[in-house]
Amino acid sequence: MPDIAFLALSGLVIASAIFALEAKELIYGAVGLAFSLIGVAGLFVLLGAEYLAMFQVAVYVGAVVVLILFTIMLVQRESGRIVEEEEPGRLGRAGVLVAGLVALAVAGAVIILAPVSPEAPESYRVPLRELGVSLASSYAVALVILGLLIGATVLGGLTLAKIDREEKPSGTAQ
Amino acid sequence: MKRLQGLPTFQELVSLAVRIITSRTFLEIVVFPGLLNILLSAALLTWLERKVIARVQLRIGPLYAGMWGILQPIADGVKLMFKEMIFPELADAKLLMLCALSLMLIAAAPVVAIPFGDGLVIANMDIGLIYVFAVISLFPSVILLIGWGSNSKFSFLGGLRSLFQQVSYEIPMWLSVLGIVMLTGTLNLSQIVKAQQNVWFALPQVLGFVVFFTAVLAELERIPFDLPEAETELVMGWMTELSGVAFMLGFLAMYTKLYLMSALITTLFLGGWLGPFTVPQPVWFVLKTFVVASIIVIIRGSFPRVRVDLLLKAGWTRLLLLALANIFVTVVLILLGLDWVWRV
Repeated sequence: MPDIAFLALSGLVIASAIFALEAKELIYGAVGLAFSLIGVAGLFVLLGAEYLAMFQVAVYVGAVVVLILFTIMLVQRESGRIVEEEEPGRLGRAGVLVAGLVALAVAGAVIILAPVSPEAPESYRVPLRELGVSLASSYAVALVILGLLIGATVLGGLTLAKIDREEKPSGTAQ
Repeated sequence: MKRLQGLPTFQELVSLAVRIITSRTFLEIVVFPGLLNILLSAALLTWLERKVIARVQLRIGPLYAGMWGILQPIADGVKLMFKEMIFPELADAKLLMLCALSLMLIAAAPVVAIPFGDGLVIANMDIGLIYVFAVISLFPSVILLIGWGSNSKFSFLGGLRSLFQQVSYEIPMWLSVLGIVMLTGTLNLSQIVKAQQNVWFALPQVLGFVVFFTAVLAELERIPFDLPEAETELVMGWMTELSGVAFMLGFLAMYTKLYLMSALITTLFLGGWLGPFTVPQPVWFVLKTFVVASIIVIIRGSFPRVRVDLLLKAGWTRLLLLALANIFVTVVLILLGLDWVWRV
């Protein structure tokens, strides 16, 4: 059962990642990225890191993809098709061929050498309570520094927003 | 690997199928807390909303289909399924269908973690609360995509408004339940319900309750926070260009979300399946959920829409402040040693 789930999720991750890179329209690329990230969250669940998986979904799919979508929509105003098709030259084709061969070799080596199912050993499955305790005790300094970093980022964002507002002519406010 | 040596006989397959269909997990997924329950409840909520709003406005509401018009949602569903799907020429029909479908999936997925009774939950996860919030946080991107893919100014404006609203109200929503997690010391929704054996969390967490309820109204895009589909300005908001089955999916997803959010309020603040009399637990749960949903509907019938700047101001200053005050109150409760009542 984990085998099937693992293969299906890996297929989803790889296929949607390729789709994200190859999509002509950037919006589709973002959608592909979202699916790929959801697949990665599924792999985390298989590995016994449910907590990480949930935050992968909440932060990456729920927030970062929204940010990417928003950026694309702001930048591309008229038509969605700005990316122009470019015929790869002879050298480019050779490069793609070599890259494909190398990827095949690596994939083959991984499939032959590694077991298919990445069942996590029991010792790796950390209960959430222990995770929280260690985060608040032995990694407390790192946690505080991260908090400060986020606080600084928010302050920076607020400052930028404030500068924008002050530069506006007075008549158009509100 | 045994199965590979000999193919299973027909009888073996049939008995396997029967065993799967009659197993508790299958029934839970397909019938009671799962699919059938979600779809029927969402359909019933559309009827309830029309009936309640009609009463508020001194009308009668749906009347002819079945007793008190209770079969109206089924008639509507059949009608929408047979309608032609019309997409504007420059709209992205494939993207719209994909998004409408995933909207329904996202709305239904969190019900997996919600306990309808002691042990009556599809997946009793230790991180149930985070799971529910993580899935809910997928809504804005899908709605934004619908707004963009429709290629219509009404849809796009609605999608943008929905994005702003949901993203900014998610923060107070997450913060307002932090008090409960601090009091119980768990993220498991079943444990959170069990912790309310003596006192429901609506009482000690009254600030959190108010913040959560308000944030839920905003997340649901309901009056007084229905800016994303303000009928007088944006036709139907991000749903404007959806039609036929795509519209049905989007519409049903919003009512599934209403059901889900009511169930979440019931679980977190109103004692879940717990009740005074010897009534089966799921009955209590569903009853409370529908009462909460009715209150949300009555609010729709009685309040005007807020302005967009007031909405964002309220979310980022007032609600955030109240949620932080709630955390402070909880810390005081714990320091006074009163948290033994809810500790599991």
